[in-house]
Amino acid sequence: MNMLNAYTVNATIGGMTPILLAALAGVLCGRVAVFNIALEGKILIGAFFAIVGSYFTGSALGGVLCGVLATMLFSTILAYGVTRFRGDSIVLCIGMNLLASGLTAYLLRQIFGQAGVFSDPAIAEVDRIVIPAINTIPWLGWIFSRQTPITYLSWLLVIVVAIVLFRTPLGLRMRGIGQNPEAATTLGIDVGRTRRWTVIAAGALCGLAGAQLSIGTVGIFAEGMSAGRGWIAVVAVMLARDNPIWAAAVCLLFAIADTFSVQLQAQGLPNQLTDAVPYVITLVALVIGALRGRRRRMAPV
Amino acid sequence: MERLKSLRPGPVPLAILSGLVIGALMLLVSGDNPLVAYREIVEGAFAPRNWRNTLSWAIPLVGMSLAAAIPLRGGMVNLGGDGQIVIGGFVAAVVPIYLADAVPLPGFLLAAIAILCAMLASGLWAALAALGETRLGIPMLISSLLLSYPAIGLTSWATGFPLRDTSTGLTQTRPVPPGAELPELFGPVTMGLVLLTIVVAAVIYVDRRTVPGYELRMRGLNRRFAEYGGVRTERQALGAMFASGAIAGLVGAIVVLEVHHRFQNGALVSPSYTWSGLMAALLAGGNPARAVLAGFFFAALQTGGFAMQREIQVPRVLSMVLQAIIILFVSLRYGVGGGRGPKDRP
Amino acid sequence: MQWELETIGVTKRFGPVTANEGVDLRVKKGEVHAVMGENGAGKSTLMSMLYGLLQPDDGEILIAGRQVHFTSALDAIGHGLGMVHQAFQLFEELTVWENIVMGAEPARRGFLDRRRAIASVAGLAERYDLKVDVTQRVRDLSVGIRQRVEILKALYRDAQILILDEPTAVLTPQERDGLFAVIRALRDDGRTILFVTHKLHEVMEITDSVTVLRQGRVTERMATKESTPEAIITAMTGRSVSLDVAKGPATPGEIVLQVAGLTVGQGPKPAVADVSITVRAGEIVGIAGVAGNGQSELIEAIAGLRPGSGRVTLKGRDIASLRVAERREAGLAYIPEDRAATGTAAGATAAETLLMGRQGDAALSRGGLLNLPAISERARRLIAQNDIRISSERAKVGTLSGGNLQKVVIARELDHEAPLLIAEQPTRGVDVGAIEAIHARIVAERDAGRAVLLVSAEMSEVLGLSDRILVMYEGRILAELPASEATEAQLGLLMAGRTGEAA
Repeated sequence: MNMLNAYTVNATIGGMTPILLAALAGVLCGRVAVFNIALEGKILIGAFFAIVGSYFTGSALGGVLCGVLATMLFSTILAYGVTRFRGDSIVLCIGMNLLASGLTAYLLRQIFGQAGVFSDPAIAEVDRIVIPAINTIPWLGWIFSRQTPITYLSWLLVIVVAIVLFRTPLGLRMRGIGQNPEAATTLGIDVGRTRRWTVIAAGALCGLAGAQLSIGTVGIFAEGMSAGRGWIAVVAVMLARDNPIWAAAVCLLFAIADTFSVQLQAQGLPNQLTDAVPYVITLVALVIGALRGRRRRMAPV
Repeated sequence: MERLKSLRPGPVPLAILSGLVIGALMLLVSGDNPLVAYREIVEGAFAPRNWRNTLSWAIPLVGMSLAAAIPLRGGMVNLGGDGQIVIGGFVAAVVPIYLADAVPLPGFLLAAIAILCAMLASGLWAALAALGETRLGIPMLISSLLLSYPAIGLTSWATGFPLRDTSTGLTQTRPVPPGAELPELFGPVTMGLVLLTIVVAAVIYVDRRTVPGYELRMRGLNRRFAEYGGVRTERQALGAMFASGAIAGLVGAIVVLEVHHRFQNGALVSPSYTWSGLMAALLAGGNPARAVLAGFFFAALQTGGFAMQREIQVPRVLSMVLQAIIILFVSLRYGVGGGRGPKDRP
Repeated sequence: MQWELETIGVTKRFGPVTANEGVDLRVKKGEVHAVMGENGAGKSTLMSMLYGLLQPDDGEILIAGRQVHFTSALDAIGHGLGMVHQAFQLFEELTVWENIVMGAEPARRGFLDRRRAIASVAGLAERYDLKVDVTQRVRDLSVGIRQRVEILKALYRDAQILILDEPTAVLTPQERDGLFAVIRALRDDGRTILFVTHKLHEVMEITDSVTVLRQGRVTERMATKESTPEAIITAMTGRSVSLDVAKGPATPGEIVLQVAGLTVGQGPKPAVADVSITVRAGEIVGIAGVAGNGQSELIEAIAGLRPGSGRVTLKGRDIASLRVAERREAGLAYIPEDRAATGTAAGATAAETLLMGRQGDAALSRGGLLNLPAISERARRLIAQNDIRISSERAKVGTLSGGNLQKVVIARELDHEAPLLIAEQPTRGVDVGAIEAIHARIVAERDAGRAVLLVSAEMSEVLGLSDRILVMYEGRILAELPASEATEAQLGLLMAGRTGEAA
């Protein structure tokens, strides 16, 4: 296991951030019973517009804000689609994912005149925070130092989301809406509005996820660079049963699995195979989760 | 009143119109003339000299529309078309190459065996997702999609290493043995077109005239009703997914045997046949005949997009954007015009 | 006179259907006021408008003499209204106190103040003697307790006017008595109760005055003690009807359905526990019981829709291991309890709906190919024979009214001419006129020599139709008695699980 070096661990933790943020977005939507499988497309929108903002403002913060705002705006399609227009969330989300991949590719050509990949020295990347006290300590420093502010924020957001959901009036209402929207209506809760704002807030989280992916990791935009992360987040939400803490744990598990696949690649396994490892692990996790769930259901009450 | 209602544009034409209007706005913002762009699309798709192009693009796209429509007819979604088309293409290339090494067979027989094997392999792969749902309760939406990644990874690896044609610099297999390619018949009509037409006719016939078609439609309308009426919904899910996967496999096989004559890594995934097909099926609400029409419409839009890019340098991905916008508008159909749902009544 | 709650000329239309027309309702402060009417008379629509869930097209609503306009339930709650819905509006996975404070949560610095919430809810429960453990999850509560939670929800919002929509439909007679005690306590506390019901004896027992609706209009308005049951019935139906079913004595023949030791579900409290039933040709066996005591699970297990352990034989043939379609073929017809969710598909045409379950019949399909002319022909015949009001067999059934839709289901199932007919809540949500017709058809089926297994939550339906009655309680068959000897009082005690007192 000598391959588990500082760089790999550090990169894995940073690479987990977009999935974690998207999973938190999925948790919020799941709580208000909006099945959000547009996470993939939202990450992509966030990644692209973070590059746009970063390129034109010359500041990483400008990039992050641009990514977040654009993704919130993009999320209004789902927010209004499932409430005011009573669309089917699955169809809407499929449409949004395709719109995201088409739109980012189109705008990449129209704004930057590039196809495929865009990199430019004018793109300001998010700085990493080095914590000198622990920076060189194995594991501790590898994990907790040299991460972007977005990564630290994502951990904080796990706790914030958990507190909002389980300790505030708003969270109680959200949980109520998810369980029985008609009952919530009879108590005077505006179900549509709560759902809309939840979906839009989740959009902000996905925007952060995208920003981390583009200007927080590599400083480039590539078409389709979300590469299935949004779908892994969807699975994490399912396995965690809409619980933010569990979702974080599942994401961590995926990150460990991902490190493992990087290890395999370093051992000489071709990347075509190792690239599929996260998805195979995700599938295996689903199967194990389902088997466990079934045993629980079989057990006497 | 009745007549007035029938004069109102239906949700699909309205959605297409909305998509075109938004697309025009996008073109205006980027300084292009939308009318010129749309004219290029129409000419690029429908000018007689472009028919062949449009048709050859339409074959896989219409095929994938049909593949997506079958599960959708029963209220299921197959997101794993990419994996299924790739497996079909891969099997259709590898089987004749190695079968010809082992036994001397006439070319058409090799092609037939290759196509059947491709359909079987893809069908089984798709049915695996259904099995996950019926046996383990893993949503098919998720499992079908996730199964694509290992399928793409494995074929990509096999093409890159053990089965690679080392005489070229590309990641691709050896060409299929001579004679196993699907022939062009006359004009733009190819063997692939004939095969696809047969499958389209068969699917529409099954949908309208047979007990399994009736049962699948009823399941799509109300699954509990179908179960109450004795429909075996679990077996049905397996069957629908198998059929869907098999058609995706056929599409992969047609592209490989008719166009590339070998399996090229990424060649089946990058044109996004799967997703365009899924959108066409959604636009058609799962109705197979309408899905074929919608698939053809999207194929025309995309071939026209090539022409637009070539002639006036507007990126052809615009056609993908238009497709997505159309689908979004269709999914909002119940709200368009302030229509009231049944829930408004106590 | 100052009315606590008054509506003047309230009208509500849904497209071409007028649900309420010119309704004048006048309710005194501190009274229990019954709003009566048949199903579909417009009671629910009126209550939804009073509670802000719907807005009237015309007319005024006044509370304590002041006109109000509610755009949401929140407005109504703000004006001191509370409503207990017929179908409880609870959050299963949340605790009692969370259910009650939802939407009006005590908070401290932005966070939920659990301690204060629990204390105030518990205090409220104690004050009105509504015994509830406020920290329990709702999913673990019985129906009677759930209703208390609903009442507490309204009281927590300090409802001065409490609307109870068919509150006794799901209660045992004993739970009902408990509810009536609570209603009296609330009235004595100065609160006003609107009691929506179609049960006559309850109106006579608990209410002070009554308003009767028929076809969306007020047909009678009187003080309860000055009225008679006959007068109310006439106002409700516009004619005198007897709900007694005309039928001769049964002539039971051979055994058609035999269920032995059927158990559905696991654990110490399965949904159906060791149930044995025999139904003979030419008799109607009624299963009485408060909804949710395992009747649905029992029927679904017999029909093959739900796994169960035990023996089920149909005309001597073991069908326990057969699939749904095979059981239907073996001779089982089944009118399900929920015609919209189970018995039909809104998007399907009448012909398609009428075909379901028979698609494998040699007359309608051969070798998997549908015989479309025969299917249309049969659909037209069934539509005509059963007086189904639909434009053609190609029209979708989603537009049909409840009674018409039920006719579709009944037409399909009776056309099967199966030796066994299972009828589950066959008249739920159907007009009185249609109820009589459906009852007559079920009796005709019996007289034609078929075995009928009837499940109904309406005691009068079970008593009127059945030849033998089985009482189901907590998944078990508690008692069996000939219909001729059964009384409502005795049945009520049995439905509450009290065998000793009923004997």
